[in-house]
Amino acid sequence: MSDTAEAAPAAPAGPAPGPTRAQGVTERLRRPRTYAVLAGSLLLLALPFYLDRFWLQAGLFAMAAAIGAIGLNMLTGATGQLSMGHAFFLAVGAYGYCVLAGESSTENGHTLTGLGLPTWLAAVLAVLLAGAAGGLFSPIAGRLRGAYLGIATLALIFIGQHVLFNAGSLTGGYNGRAVPPLSLFGFTFDDTELVVAAVPFGSSEKLWYAGLAALLLSALFARGVLRGRPGRAMNAIRDHRIAAGVMGVPVARYRAGVFVLSSMYAGLAGVLLALVFQRTVPEYFGMILSLEYLAMIVIGGLGSVAGAVIGAAFVSLLPQVFTHYSDSLPLVSAPGTGGLAPGEASRYLYGAAVVAVVLFLPGGLARLGLARTKKPKAPKKPGLPKQPAAPMQPAAPKNPGEKS
Amino acid sequence: MKLRVLTAVVATLAVTLVGCSGKATDGKANEESEGGIKTGPGVSSSTISLGVLTDMTGVYASLGKSVTQAQQLWVEQTNDEGGICDRKIELTVRDHGYDPQKAIAAYTELEPEVLGFTQFIGSPFVAAVEQRIDGQDKGLVLPQAWSANLLGSPYIRVIGATYDVETINLIDYLLAEKRIGKGDKIGHVYFEGDYGENALVGSKHAAKEAGLTVVEQKIKPTDNDMTAQVAALKQAGVKAVIVSAGPRQAASLVGVAAATGFDVPVVGNNSAFAPQLLKTQAGPALLKDYYVASSTLPIGDPGDGPAKLAKEYAAQYPKDVLDNGVVAGYTAASVFGEALSKACDDKDLTREGIDKALLTIKEYGTEFGVSHDFSDPKAPSTRESVIMKPDAKAAGGLKVVRPAEVAAAAESFTAGS
Repeated sequence: MSDTAEAAPAAPAGPAPGPTRAQGVTERLRRPRTYAVLAGSLLLLALPFYLDRFWLQAGLFAMAAAIGAIGLNMLTGATGQLSMGHAFFLAVGAYGYCVLAGESSTENGHTLTGLGLPTWLAAVLAVLLAGAAGGLFSPIAGRLRGAYLGIATLALIFIGQHVLFNAGSLTGGYNGRAVPPLSLFGFTFDDTELVVAAVPFGSSEKLWYAGLAALLLSALFARGVLRGRPGRAMNAIRDHRIAAGVMGVPVARYRAGVFVLSSMYAGLAGVLLALVFQRTVPEYFGMILSLEYLAMIVIGGLGSVAGAVIGAAFVSLLPQVFTHYSDSLPLVSAPGTGGLAPGEASRYLYGAAVVAVVLFLPGGLARLGLARTKKPKAPKKPGLPKQPAAPMQPAAPKNPGEKS
Repeated sequence: MKLRVLTAVVATLAVTLVGCSGKATDGKANEESEGGIKTGPGVSSSTISLGVLTDMTGVYASLGKSVTQAQQLWVEQTNDEGGICDRKIELTVRDHGYDPQKAIAAYTELEPEVLGFTQFIGSPFVAAVEQRIDGQDKGLVLPQAWSANLLGSPYIRVIGATYDVETINLIDYLLAEKRIGKGDKIGHVYFEGDYGENALVGSKHAAKEAGLTVVEQKIKPTDNDMTAQVAALKQAGVKAVIVSAGPRQAASLVGVAAATGFDVPVVGNNSAFAPQLLKTQAGPALLKDYYVASSTLPIGDPGDGPAKLAKEYAAQYPKDVLDNGVVAGYTAASVFGEALSKACDDKDLTREGIDKALLTIKEYGTEFGVSHDFSDPKAPSTRESVIMKPDAKAAGGLKVVRPAEVAAAAESFTAGS
């Protein structure tokens, strides 16, 4: 547990080669941001001891969404490739895990196939499976750009929905199939009660830490990719495809590679979601889900890891907050009394948020708090000569930086 | 430097762990005895909290609204009569809009605060939390779904005949009326998913018993035009059609069949009708030769139970449509109320007490035409179905053509096979 807190402030020392390591650490210790991060991670670690299962579950949905959104942000935000098929890869991850880890059984009239692998292995393989599914699609993903890819990936959702409903022996059909709880080194993330410091730990409390670890690793990996050479190549492709090609960036290969990476992120998010749901239901993995992910990265901030995380938290927590406090919020009515239902209210609010972000905050919510701290740092970075955004793609977002 | 940070982290963590958390205190101490009555989650000395997980903004919005308002009406009436066990009933409603994430979040949110759920729309979501209900929560849940897949749990109790039994009764009606006979073909248009597939199990069973052949037509909930299905069934030469789909599909099927001169009786499950259909173009065709089965009398029935409910509901919600969701919701709430009263007599208002009390309820709900028996969790609460026909003059658009009856084939049928 403590390594989670420690890794967060220490990690930024890695990719910045400027001053020596020791100097960097001392400088970092003087900055208030280090302490904010530290306090934040401590808070996150302590939450399961205080919050109800409802809020923990909401937090877990947000974490899973954040992992998926990071993946989509690398594809759409950093590389400028629109994908509507994110829900499909989430489904591949979720169902892949169920099939790999589940036992063969008969449920609801469907004979379910399951390989019965150890659950941790199944989780890893499910992520790879999602990557492989992305790989199968990558010849298309490598050749199409922007909105055209969005249209092509739309097909994935419809194919996915058809398969999920009809491949009964794999997916359990309409009612889905039960998700075997994750088990790691003999520790099972299920509902058997485990008392830690007088607090009973159920599946949500246990999964909270697994989710945090998964999110941290995904975020750090994505940041490494975005800050390094591949990240610059991706941004170059987004800003000016031809110029990037002339400079020696293999455009098609990069596009295909990012697509595979983003589907692996979606796969991991799918596995985590399945574990939280305890049952995968095909209904969930539809077009609305893909659109929600796009809303997350637009609201949070295109192209950055922090943007994806903030956007995911915003989009997935908002309806929960609205429903929970629907009695005390103005305008929002309690369900059943007519008027604006909480679910509808949160949808209107996303809409308003997307419009507000596009108009006033082109970098997304992530820029809100970081705008000031970022400026003095900009000239220190020699590796990133700011290319003027090409006028070729007016819809392409400005580079919001690979700042976490 | 690093060491100091680490020490600080560990120290803070330790403080957090030791520091008193609200969660730490509530172990299993909530089963106190009060006035000799054992109580558990959701029950205080003055109130009994019940949960409602409904859909008011998604695909089942109109059903969800009727069911919820009927249950709110029941709560109001019960409280006016002094409540149950000297306690007022409180309903907490959550609208999930048929979204799995919201449905599961809503269940998690309400579960610790309520005694049980008088309504849970969406069988996939019920299935998703079934493990938790059976394993730890053990609260009574009354789903508004009639799939045989939901049978078997002692805590999730379906009120009424399941779709398979209902379909057998529908076919029995056609046989009894001599509309079809041995050796005939019947068409079955059904939704993919457990509603349609469960109904198909029933029609296959009935067909085997009566020597019929079933011509299957599987459709999606998004398919609204039944022209292709009608053409295929006409080609196959079926003598009658069963619809296990939504109101829209039933209307399209009946309308298209009438327009193309395909003159066969059409029968549908309880979800395949809505009173609004009678005002559409398909209205005249529906009035002619369409029948619906259900486990309650229609709201427009002249019998005492439905007539009284219709009057009270219309007084409370004058702007809203009267449909069969009203009866279904009211019946579910009153079954829960009956279990509460019995549990109160046993001085045990815990979740276990309610579950035990429900198992003793037999021959209940006769004022709505069907008697329910809750003593066996593995069987549907009834095997009887009322067969109804659309009627433009009746409230709710339906009138009874055959009162509650159980087909011989349905009697012998074991559900969930």
